[in-house]
Amino acid sequence: MLELRPILSALMRSKVSLVLIGLQIALTLAIVCNSLFIISERAALMNRPSGINETDTFTVGSIGFGADFDLRASIAEDLAMLRGLPGIADVAAINATPLSDGGWSQGISLDKDQKSPTAPTALYLTDEHGLNALGARIVAGRNFRPDEISGRTRQSLAWPPGLIMSRALADKLWPGQDPIGKSFYINVEQAPSTVIGIVDRLQAPWVHKQRVVELSTVVPQVVSDGSFVRYLLRAAPGQRDAMMKRVEARLAELNPGRIVRDAKSIEKLRADVYAEDRAMMIILGVVIASLLIITALGIVGMASFWVTQRTKQIGTRRALGATRGAILRHFLAENFVITSFGLVAGTLLAYGFNAWLIQNYETARMPWYYVPAGCVTLWLLGQIAVLGPARRASRVTPAMATRSV
Amino acid sequence: MLKMNHLSKVYRTHLIETHALRDFSIHVRDGEFVAVTGPSGSGKTTFLNIAGLLEQFSGGEYFLDGVDVRGMNDSARSRLRNEKIGFIFQGFNLIPDLNLFDNVDVPLRYRGFNAAERKRRIEDALARVGLSARTRHYPSELSGGQQQRVAIARALAGSPKILLADEPTGNLDTQMARGVMQLLEELHAEGATILMVTHDPELAARAQRNVHVIDGQVVDIHAEPRMRGLGVVAAQAAHG
Ligand SMILES: Nc1ncnc2c1ncn2[C@@H]1O[C@H](COP(=O)(O)OP(=O)(O)OP(=O)(O)O)[C@@H](O)[C@H]1O
Ligand SMILES: [Mg+2]
Repeated sequence: MLELRPILSALMRSKVSLVLIGLQIALTLAIVCNSLFIISERAALMNRPSGINETDTFTVGSIGFGADFDLRASIAEDLAMLRGLPGIADVAAINATPLSDGGWSQGISLDKDQKSPTAPTALYLTDEHGLNALGARIVAGRNFRPDEISGRTRQSLAWPPGLIMSRALADKLWPGQDPIGKSFYINVEQAPSTVIGIVDRLQAPWVHKQRVVELSTVVPQVVSDGSFVRYLLRAAPGQRDAMMKRVEARLAELNPGRIVRDAKSIEKLRADVYAEDRAMMIILGVVIASLLIITALGIVGMASFWVTQRTKQIGTRRALGATRGAILRHFLAENFVITSFGLVAGTLLAYGFNAWLIQNYETARMPWYYVPAGCVTLWLLGQIAVLGPARRASRVTPAMATRSV
Repeated sequence: MLKMNHLSKVYRTHLIETHALRDFSIHVRDGEFVAVTGPSGSGKTTFLNIAGLLEQFSGGEYFLDGVDVRGMNDSARSRLRNEKIGFIFQGFNLIPDLNLFDNVDVPLRYRGFNAAERKRRIEDALARVGLSARTRHYPSELSGGQQQRVAIARALAGSPKILLADEPTGNLDTQMARGVMQLLEELHAEGATILMVTHDPELAARAQRNVHVIDGQVVDIHAEPRMRGLGVVAAQAAHG
């Protein structure tokens, strides 16, 4: 026995409170839905796999000093030592790693004469141990052979004949075709390279560049000029942190003519590269929680005020035959009506807000179910918030009809 | 119709016990118009509230229309109140945010009548008190006397067994009070049973029977000498 019609017409006569609470509910719906959507977008971003073993891997850098520092010799010596180190599963020299937010990129062209490249790509320069050290999975073709590895200097213009690329890049270059053996140009002035292997997935270092994040090419070369080298190591399971310390110490010990620095786990790189996203999620989470709490408190406050204000009216209704349940339902129904008003306005506001974000911040369109889910949540919130005051109302004695002034 | 035997009511606060009613016995018959008088604080409202099932009593027994109301739970009391009792309050107690139609509708909705039945009853009741033309008006747009008429319509609409009125003219000037009193007399003439608390000896004198309450006890019940023929005939017709 819902008395929606008289409740509605009574509310229409106290428009100020209706508008105030309704507006609060509308804003809450709009902001909560959009914030949740942004949170879920960021979470989806963070949940994309990088394609590598992140738990056991770490990187460490080495900068040689002194005029007679020989990078090539130093790398050979370091790798020989590190590969013999118990607790290290594999190690390679590499120019960049996923999640590091820094590295090399080039455009790939399929045709010598094309004006602009077909796709961008991140370039990972490493040896035949590189993919194994990363824990990336070769799903077609083969890995590099030791004899294919060469050095790369600033003067190198040509690219090696056989390269490995991520499946996403291959799919983009040759949709629906077998990429193994296909040729392409990193530098159209030079001889083309061919695809010899495909890794399932290998993220580019820049996780926030949607256009290139899944597109990577692995080159069988080690940077051999300058004095800096970065090693990527994969420790035996559970030994990463211990190995990080030991590797730093051993490298320093092995060749005191350089500085060993920046030992960092890939997990740390991930935490750093997504720090802003995580902060955003936390802030929005706090905003959502605060809005819901404030709205609930607003409803509790307003309803309590109304119960106090209408004590005599409630007593009269009781005297006229309302059961306690009927009074309780009256306040629940009244809250439902007010909330519904807010939610209608809030729905428009939520979609408007999303449209604005789409236009100004390249946000995606919010999936349809966010607003209905938000409405149900706020209806429930409203009912729960009003339950206390409504119960208080239901306990007003019918004698208040004659006893109160 | 309404029968109380040795009824008592004690209000307990943390400091004092107030014996608002003691050894209170009364029998109101069908079709009677009873005026309850007595000094302030003597227990008149307490009596009316208990009669109307708004409050519990401490001892004794009470039969409303043959039903023993002792130990009844709150929901059952609410339903009984809704069905058998029509209240008229000193302060009218209309709901300010509802128009006259919806005000009269309030007890009918609790009764669970369907929409058509409610509409018929509301229109009949408002017509009976002469306010048919103003169903869409709000209480604040009416005079006090008119508001009390709406309250009477609301009390009548559910066809109760008895009308309970606590100083129904207490908030009205003489002119309006006379109008309301006249309406009550007419209703009585049509067969209604009315129990009315009043301070006004003149109004009390117009009732069929007077009950005087002092210090929570009925001291003196005397039948109204000038029994109006019309009332008796109508009452008999209504219950015969
Ligand atoms: N809720 C209560 N708690 C304690 N005492 C109460 C309560 N209600 C009434 N009383 C006391 O019971 C006694 C009877 O009160 P009641 O309201 O019935 O008097 P009344 O005859 O209606 O008075 P008046 O003519 O002023 O309306 C008074 O002493 C009053 O103070
Ligand atoms: Mg009184």
